[in-house]
Amino acid sequence: MYDALALATLVATGALALFGLVLAALNRAPGRELKIAVGVVVALLAAQAVLGVVRAFGVTLPEQSTFLIYLAVSVCVLPIATQFAYAEPTRWGGVVVAVGAIATLVAVLRLQGLWVPSG
Amino acid sequence: MAEARTPRATATGAGRVLVAIYGIFALSATARAAVQIAGRFGDAPLAYLLSALAGVVYILATVGLAGTRPWARTLAWAAVGFELTGVLVVGTLTVLDAAAFPDDTVWSFYGRGYGFVPLVLPLVGLWWLHRTRPSPA
Repeated sequence: MYDALALATLVATGALALFGLVLAALNRAPGRELKIAVGVVVALLAAQAVLGVVRAFGVTLPEQSTFLIYLAVSVCVLPIATQFAYAEPTRWGGVVVAVGAIATLVAVLRLQGLWVPSG
Repeated sequence: MAEARTPRATATGAGRVLVAIYGIFALSATARAAVQIAGRFGDAPLAYLLSALAGVVYILATVGLAGTRPWARTLAWAAVGFELTGVLVVGTLTVLDAAAFPDDTVWSFYGRGYGFVPLVLPLVGLWWLHRTRPSPA
């Protein structure tokens, strides 16, 4: 898709996963910093999703509905995972955020593969 | 009294990570099956029905692992056990007779399309259920 934004979201979700894992390795519960990091990443993903929806209706994709579902998933997973993570005030909370970030990363990669516009 | 020694919950500590992974698989397998069945069911009905079955199993496993009631643990054992059986049977069938499965499911080739997580996940799940099992009264 939009290469710069896609690259930014990939780097951001990867960095967020690393952040969560580092917190866990240091045996720290997820705190304010991680929440801010999640907010920044979700903002990037939301921007990508809005642009993606707008662009998707201007072209023909081989799997339009799958593309739109992945867009929705890419935005929704991290907020839900974060909510779930903060109910666990131990190191495992950070791992939950990392799992959510990795799943989001996979979804963004899949979006790249599904973006094969024609017409 | 049973209340004096409550069994360890399956959804806290490291278990919360497991529930999160199961939740993500429940979501992705179900969504995938829904798109496949709604869009092109005739292409590979067996594969798409298997996708749907896998989605249901992941949902039941998530509910079982996340729950705290006694039946939740039973449900989790059943769902995770079925999941392991499913990935082994479907994985073996796809290796032996790939032509019978024109389109991939979560469990095809032992979950190759998902980084083999579908093969490892039930093993971890069973180990976790065993580890957190209630101690005999």
